[in-house]
Amino acid sequence: MKSRLFHGMRILCVASILGLGVGVRAKDDPRPQATGTNLPPCCRRAEAVAKPTDRSLYQLESEWTSDVGKKVRLGVFHGRPLVLVLFFTQCEYACPVLVSDLKRLQEALPGELRGAVDFALVSLDTARDTPEVLARYRAEHGLGTDHWSLLTGKADDVRELAALLGVNYRRDQRGQFSHSNVFTVLDAEGEVIQQTVGLNQDPRDAVRALSKARRDGKRTGP
Amino acid sequence: MNPARNRLPVACRTLLVAVALWHGSVGALDSAGVPAFPDLAVIPAGVHRPLFRTPDEPKEIPVAAFQLEISPVTQGQFLEFVRANPRWRRSNAKRLFADEGYLGDWSGDLDLGPDATARAARPVTRVSWFAAKAYASWKGRRLPTTSEWELASAAGFARADGAAEPEFRSAVRRWYGTPASEVLAPVRSGRANLHGVHDLHGLVWEWTSDFNSALVTGDARGDTGIERMLFCGAGSQGATDRGDFPAFMRSGLRSSLKASYVLPNLGFRCALDLPRPSVSSPSR
Repeated sequence: MKSRLFHGMRILCVASILGLGVGVRAKDDPRPQATGTNLPPCCRRAEAVAKPTDRSLYQLESEWTSDVGKKVRLGVFHGRPLVLVLFFTQCEYACPVLVSDLKRLQEALPGELRGAVDFALVSLDTARDTPEVLARYRAEHGLGTDHWSLLTGKADDVRELAALLGVNYRRDQRGQFSHSNVFTVLDAEGEVIQQTVGLNQDPRDAVRALSKARRDGKRTGP
Repeated sequence: MNPARNRLPVACRTLLVAVALWHGSVGALDSAGVPAFPDLAVIPAGVHRPLFRTPDEPKEIPVAAFQLEISPVTQGQFLEFVRANPRWRRSNAKRLFADEGYLGDWSGDLDLGPDATARAARPVTRVSWFAAKAYASWKGRRLPTTSEWELASAAGFARADGAAEPEFRSAVRRWYGTPASEVLAPVRSGRANLHGVHDLHGLVWEWTSDFNSALVTGDARGDTGIERMLFCGAGSQGATDRGDFPAFMRSGLRSSLKASYVLPNLGFRCALDLPRPSVSSPSR
């Protein structure tokens, strides 16, 4: 009976390392750049004052450090839809694909929506992905500060965030992390509303979820 | 949302055949002579052989000596915790951190029910991973890692390697083959293992800190495209010991869990690092 559970468990190696396109479309962003600085979304404003809803990830009290060095809580993302992914910079297999999937998603967003959605990459590799390493990754992969935040945190806090996102992971001998390939759409309140599981998936469902989040956010949000 | 969930009750046969009361050397000194709290036992350093691994992963994971509670956390103990931490009371707990049904067998926020005295001695169940983690840190402790838990549970009644002890092996198999009964036995009804730890097998499933490190889906039915796309990593993996059915069950359960789940036969116990550096001991 249980054998079904174990049938076909394999961890797959998606070894295609895609070259990543560059060029985040800052020019398409209709939103005025906050305070004219180059700070990423995580680090522009003070934390949301609104009380998080019961299913909001923004209840988490854990503290994260951005690649620009600022310490923030996830609540800073309150008010706008967010696409969240766990990754690590030295990933040889799937993360480059995941990140390019996110860029594809960003490009698939209709104009108005594109300026309204933020992306956050949170590192699993708490030991090696220092803010400096993340900053380098941002530069290398052309992740503009207009919409992309890169965060690193404490191992326990990553484990907790992963648990909330349903992401399983473990570190192997060579320091690679085997992990679920999932990206998650959070609405303006920080509730999980959609997850795309697997690499190279059609971004349509995520786009639809983000549009809805945008509409709902407009009704209630800031 | 997760189809694996419907199958959980089947997956979760806990076992209840408790062998007669038998107390081992509970809370004894470890080989290094470090005194433990009476409710903790020292688990000597050892290795855990993961059931599944990728070629990149070691066959054996070294586990440092640590302390483990000799029995699962009881409802009575958990009641103290929610008394002191109102946010973890049944009516206050946020859905993100505990599914509906959290402490669902209690009569109220601070009320175990009519048979409160009996219940107080039974293991607390219907607690999410977040709740278990919060309890542990309130106690100044932590949840054991899966490797630590598996290492502790591998010890037999009389030998460090339970697999080499026929009596232990058959007791464990019997336990895992017996459906869970409605009413859980009080903790420590089961025979202690070599280290003085009770109920690792035979009472409830237990949360571990890194239960979500298993890269096995709870709902794998074959090599569908999506399964292959699920995980990053390398190569296929094979089981280490195909004969260790209970280990398959634990691994299967863990991989099907989500951190907010609450189940009628899933509880937890806490662990604690050994005090360090230990008092100058001749053995080190």
